[in-house]
Amino acid sequence: MEMIQEFLQSGFLPTALLIVRAVVPVLALYVVWRSYTSFQKGQRRRDPVVVLWDEGSNARLPVLYWENSIGRSKSCDVYLPDASVSRDHAVLMRRDEGWVICDTDSKSGVFVNGKKVQDRKLLKIGDKITLGSTTLSLWNSDAQPQRSRKAFTGFSKNAASPFKLMFVASLVHFLMAVQSCFQNGGFAPDKFIPFLTVLLMGWGLYVISVGVLKRVSFEIETIAYLLSGIGINLLAASDPDAARTQIVAMAMGMVLFSLLIWFMNDMERVAKLRLWIGLGALGLLMLTLVIGTEVYGAKGWILLGPLSVQPSEFVKIAFIFVGTSTLDRLQTQKNIWEFLIFTGACMGCLALMNDFGTALIFFACFLIIAFMRSGSVRTIALVLVGAALCVFLILKFKPHVIARFAVWGNAWSDAYGDGFQQTRTLTYIASGGMFGMGLGQGYLCNMFASDSDLVFGMLCEEQGLALGMTVLLALGILILYARSDVTRSRSTFFSIASCAAAGMLVFQACLNVFGPTDILPFTGVTLPFLSAGGSSMMGVWGLMAFLKASDERTYAARRASRRGASSNRKTPDPARKGSAGRRGAAHSGSMEDIYS
Amino acid sequence: MKTVGFRSIVLYLLLAVLAGGAGYLIVNLFFHGSQWAMQPYNGHIYAEDATVKLGEIEDRDGLLLAATGEEGRYYNDSETVRKAMLHTVGDPYGMISTSVEHTMSSRLSGYNFFTGLNRTVFSQMGTDVTLSLDAGACTAAYEAMNGHNGAVFVYNYNTGEVLCKVSAPTYDPENVPEDIEENDAYRGAYLDNSLSASFTPGSIMKVVTAAAAMEKWPDSWMDRVYSCEGAEELGGDQITCLHSEAHGEQDLSSAMGNSCNLYFAKLANDVGAEALQKKAEEMGFNSELHMGSIPISKSEIDLSSCNRNQLGWAGVGQYTILANPYHMAVLMGAIARGGEYTEPVLTRNQDLFSGLTGGKSHQLCTAKEAQNLRSLLRNNVENYYGDWMFPEGMSVCAKTGTGEVGEGKAPNCWMIGFCDSEEYPYAFAVMAEEGTGGVESAGTVVSAVLQALK
Repeated sequence: MEMIQEFLQSGFLPTALLIVRAVVPVLALYVVWRSYTSFQKGQRRRDPVVVLWDEGSNARLPVLYWENSIGRSKSCDVYLPDASVSRDHAVLMRRDEGWVICDTDSKSGVFVNGKKVQDRKLLKIGDKITLGSTTLSLWNSDAQPQRSRKAFTGFSKNAASPFKLMFVASLVHFLMAVQSCFQNGGFAPDKFIPFLTVLLMGWGLYVISVGVLKRVSFEIETIAYLLSGIGINLLAASDPDAARTQIVAMAMGMVLFSLLIWFMNDMERVAKLRLWIGLGALGLLMLTLVIGTEVYGAKGWILLGPLSVQPSEFVKIAFIFVGTSTLDRLQTQKNIWEFLIFTGACMGCLALMNDFGTALIFFACFLIIAFMRSGSVRTIALVLVGAALCVFLILKFKPHVIARFAVWGNAWSDAYGDGFQQTRTLTYIASGGMFGMGLGQGYLCNMFASDSDLVFGMLCEEQGLALGMTVLLALGILILYARSDVTRSRSTFFSIASCAAAGMLVFQACLNVFGPTDILPFTGVTLPFLSAGGSSMMGVWGLMAFLKASDERTYAARRASRRGASSNRKTPDPARKGSAGRRGAAHSGSMEDIYS
Repeated sequence: MKTVGFRSIVLYLLLAVLAGGAGYLIVNLFFHGSQWAMQPYNGHIYAEDATVKLGEIEDRDGLLLAATGEEGRYYNDSETVRKAMLHTVGDPYGMISTSVEHTMSSRLSGYNFFTGLNRTVFSQMGTDVTLSLDAGACTAAYEAMNGHNGAVFVYNYNTGEVLCKVSAPTYDPENVPEDIEENDAYRGAYLDNSLSASFTPGSIMKVVTAAAAMEKWPDSWMDRVYSCEGAEELGGDQITCLHSEAHGEQDLSSAMGNSCNLYFAKLANDVGAEALQKKAEEMGFNSELHMGSIPISKSEIDLSSCNRNQLGWAGVGQYTILANPYHMAVLMGAIARGGEYTEPVLTRNQDLFSGLTGGKSHQLCTAKEAQNLRSLLRNNVENYYGDWMFPEGMSVCAKTGTGEVGEGKAPNCWMIGFCDSEEYPYAFAVMAEEGTGGVESAGTVVSAVLQALK
């Protein structure tokens, strides 16, 4: 103890802590980067699993995805240059029970072994599928696995083990906790409590996911764990009460995350409940409007005894459920009116709550989903014109909103008025430099909303711009996760959902970070994972479930244990279907397993 | 799924926004970070237990002007030094935005882009600043101002080093008056009058009018003669000389010495508004001068819509003309140096290379005009004001002025000039508000400063 005292008074401590702060972003960057490259390396190659054999032309058409559109349109996954085939004639989908063909309102219909398909039909290997005047038969593929065509695959050939990444992420948290306990030149071991709690929760999830559920990938959870822990350790230094709330919210968020992944396993269940989810979300928003409480100008809170809940954070999840769709539904229901009306209703409620920031996030998410569903630039343009009209009307009837825009870009000319928050944020970000002034040594934390709207400034002031940028990278890279799963997921439902979730999180991060730094107008939204706010923390973990569900490996372990897989995968041989030989999902839940 | 996959590229738009915004933030931080960090509300610098220790400020002889101790920032022991140098050194609350503590705060605090305001081995190197100013000259000037508001600016026109800079009203940064915001006596106390204010120049403007005449009649300007009856109607209204004194037949040289208003009013009318405006602008009026990073308040002239009488008054520095003391001093420096002035600097040995690159130069008049103006200004002192009022051997060239401000207030009394001497290469501008006369109110200040610098 004496030695510690001596050490603290030697004047060496500030330098030691500065070095610790310089190490933290390096480790965090390692986790962020390696998580992504490992995630990518663990993915299956893009090899065909089954082929469709066109008897007429003797062509072999590879089937590459879980859901494949078949038609005369060149954009179809399986393109049939046959005038009697409709543009989007049918969808060939892989479901738990096997390959399913689905007629998507074609003119001439789909026939399997000569019988007309009503809605959908489960296929067997060797079945003859007739579309127009083309007849295809389904066979297993004997193609050799292709070599990866990627030129740059990160700096390492192999994927990092999930354990190692979790370990380094925990090390980041540990180094933050060390700073926290040495702040103000004393030694306060109780500052380790938030760190230990987060550690326990993170590794708990790890053990359940990797140990019990035998999932092979843990990268997405690692990123969420890393970011949540950074946020909680940051908060713990200046506001232990907020950190406690945050820890509880993180635990609940993890439960929500797991529940959603379980829920999305069964596509039928999701399809059945989609309508109810949408209605429930709208109901929740309206309920908030009626019994909600106004907190700092926005009537977005429901008080349940000691708990205050912000329903809009959960409606974000429901919003994606309502918006996204499987490929067969996309083909048969091309218009997005239903979703547009739902969006309008949600945004209307949020506008009435005076929560324009969240309304804007919903709108951005709507644009992403609408574009991914329709691909129509015209629709998007039309919606944007409509939105511009709405903005014009809002500005006309709520002129105080303009005041927020007036200071945009001119914060320094009104540093003691409307530019107060922006100038303080910039001043303290600059003060922190690359490595920060030290955990709990900031001044921004004394400001109103510093731990939510201005949390990026607080992070940079205390831990440095380097860590701030690493956090932004971690959030931005979510888009790459979503993108790399987009044609590998089990359905367009998951592809669109994960893209929407990633887009929503990144858009929210942009608003939160660039608002107080005077690059965008100040809207006052939370930074995913870092801002104090229980509902926000839970909601963000919920959104991460979409990214996780989009990764086909998430459900592979369970499936692998349920069905047999053979080592022999040669030319069409329907007799082999279901032959024995068990294979776990050692490398990945590869699609190759299913029909061998 | 191929199509949906392709459409997901739209997400890259968002990623581009994120990357672009982050890049913009970093670049901005790189260029403006020190300004952003050095705000008067920044707790890291100005709070009681601030982590940052601002470096020391010394005058050219090593006299300590400001330093940071256990209990925060403190200043020189002498109250007079503190008051005389307030606007140069600065105040603990960052109210004086042109002060060294404010403009050089990033250097004083050891700020840099990478370590921010952290105290490291690197940031603690070279946080002290040595000023080029002479505390003795500043206190001499402050005392000679004798309670008048105004400004004193004296610099070495060869090296650009500022030797004396005083602004009044001032206050003691160690004991900030409680009524500083309400009391009229402190109005404008946060402003450095030598840099950030412009005043009616009066007769010192005759230097500019004379230069305009030299440009218009390069070979015959010295032969132009006008008569003076003390008061005369010009353009429908009166032009009068000081105390209505009749100077008789005058040429430019004697009119400059006598400061004859009628001569210059008539001369201005013969030069013409356009030519006078053009010459004044060439000589630095209406342009945004800078001393390092500090913007200087503009000297102003606008003759676009004046009548003959107004043009006459403009020729003698009345009408709507305003002059800034810093500008007047560098104008004198330019005349002393053959038309070009070296931009003044407040610090010595700012960096290793300052000696190699030299100060920035700016042209204000031609070498010929500078030479002619120099002999006119020397003639003023030799034959009219008297060399006896300045220290011996300084060979002072100068022009006085009394800018009438109306409202029943006494005039702004000016003296601008320079020493035509290799040993004492000083240019100066002094302005005392509500004084009695150029020589009486401003000349005594010049004399005191030069004495202190000798």
